[in-house]
Amino acid sequence: MAKAFEQAVLDLLPRLRRFACGLAGSAADGDDLCQMTIERALVRRDQWQPGTRLDSWMYRIMRNIFIDEMRAARRRSETFVDEEAGLGVGSVGGQEARVELALVDRAMRQLPTDQREAVLLVMVEGYSYKEAAEIIGCPVGTLNSRLVRGRDALLGLLEDAS
Amino acid sequence: MTVTPELLAAYADGQLEGADKARIEAAIAADPALASQVARHQRLRKALAAHYAPVAEEPVPDRLAALLKPSGGAESNAEVISFAGARAKRGLLPAIRRWAPVAGPALAASLVLAIWQPWQGGLPEGYADPDLAGVLDTRLAATQAADADLRILLSFQRQGGDLCRAWRGAEAGGIACRDGAGWRIERQFALEGATGGDYRQAGSEADIMAAAQDMAVSGALDAEGEERAKAKGWQN
Repeated sequence: MAKAFEQAVLDLLPRLRRFACGLAGSAADGDDLCQMTIERALVRRDQWQPGTRLDSWMYRIMRNIFIDEMRAARRRSETFVDEEAGLGVGSVGGQEARVELALVDRAMRQLPTDQREAVLLVMVEGYSYKEAAEIIGCPVGTLNSRLVRGRDALLGLLEDAS
Repeated sequence: MTVTPELLAAYADGQLEGADKARIEAAIAADPALASQVARHQRLRKALAAHYAPVAEEPVPDRLAALLKPSGGAESNAEVISFAGARAKRGLLPAIRRWAPVAGPALAASLVLAIWQPWQGGLPEGYADPDLAGVLDTRLAATQAADADLRILLSFQRQGGDLCRAWRGAEAGGIACRDGAGWRIERQFALEGATGGDYRQAGSEADIMAAAQDMAVSGALDAEGEERAKAKGWQN
C-alpha cells in the first residue's frame, strides 16, 4: 500500500514536471516546485483518499504551493522592484540570466497566475473544465472565463510577435 | 443566438454536449468568423501542448525520483535537506528573485562569517571582521562565483545615506552598513539550515530581504550602482 502510493506519484512525475515548468516559468524553478509538492504529498499522504484521483490531488497541492509562494513574493516585492525588471532576470548570475526564453515562455509569464493555471490545466494537461475547476477550487464558469482571457492574451502576444 | 467567447472556447475544448453542442455547431456553420476563432483556439492548444511536451518526455531528474524510492525514510530526509541547500544556492522562485535584481551567486565556500569580537582588537564591537569586511568591500552581487555557500544578496542605501549590504551563508546571514569605522553589523539572522530542510529556509532569506526592504530608502542597487559604490569605498 505504502509502496503503491509512492509508485503512483512516481508515475505521475513527468506530467507534474510539465505543469510545474509551465507554472513556474522555467525547468529549474519547476523542479523546485515539484520537489516541494512531492514533499508535501508525502507528509500528507493520509489525507489522500484511495479511490479518488491522485493526479488531481497532486496538481492541487502543487498549485496551492505555487500560489502561496507567489503571494509571499509579491508581498515582499511591492516596493522594491518594478514589474518588468523581473522578466528574464534570473538571479543566478551572468550567463543563465541572459538565456533567451522561448516566445511561449515569455508570453506565459506575462499572464496572471489564475489565467496561466487555467490555460495549462485545460490546454496542456488536457483536463475537462470541471476537473480543472476542482483542482483550482473555483466554479466552472470562473475557470471558463479565466481560460478565455488567458487564451486571448496569449494569442495577442504570440500573434503580435510572429 | 449569441455565441459568447466562453461558449465558443468550451466548444473548441470539447466541453459541450447534446443541445448546447448542436446549437454552437449550427452557429459556426452559419458564420465563418466563428469557425476561424475555433481554429485559432485549437492552433494555440496544439502549440502549447507541443511546447511543453518535451518536459514530460525527458527522464525525471534523480533528485525528484529519489524522494519516492522505496528505500524510504532516511534517504528522502537527506534529499529534503539537500534541497534546502540547492535552493540556497540557486535562489528562490523567479518572483522572489525578481525582488533583488542584483542578487547573485555565492562567495567562497570556506568563508566563515563572524562578528568582530572586542577581544580580537582593532575594531569596535559590532563590526564585521576582516574576512567579512573584505567580502563586503570587494564582492559584487552580479559577478560573484556561482557555487559557494555564501553570497551577497543585495546592496542598498538607507536613510541618512549609508550604503548597506545584505548577505547570507548556509546557516546565517545579515545586513551590514558602511560607516567611517567599517562595516557595522545592523542585523543578524540565524537561518534554518541543516535541520529545517523544507522551504522555511527560503522564508529566512526572505526575512533578510524584508529587513533590507524596511531599511532601504529606495530600491536595491543594480550592477552599475554597486560598481560605483565599490569604487568610492562604499562611502558617500
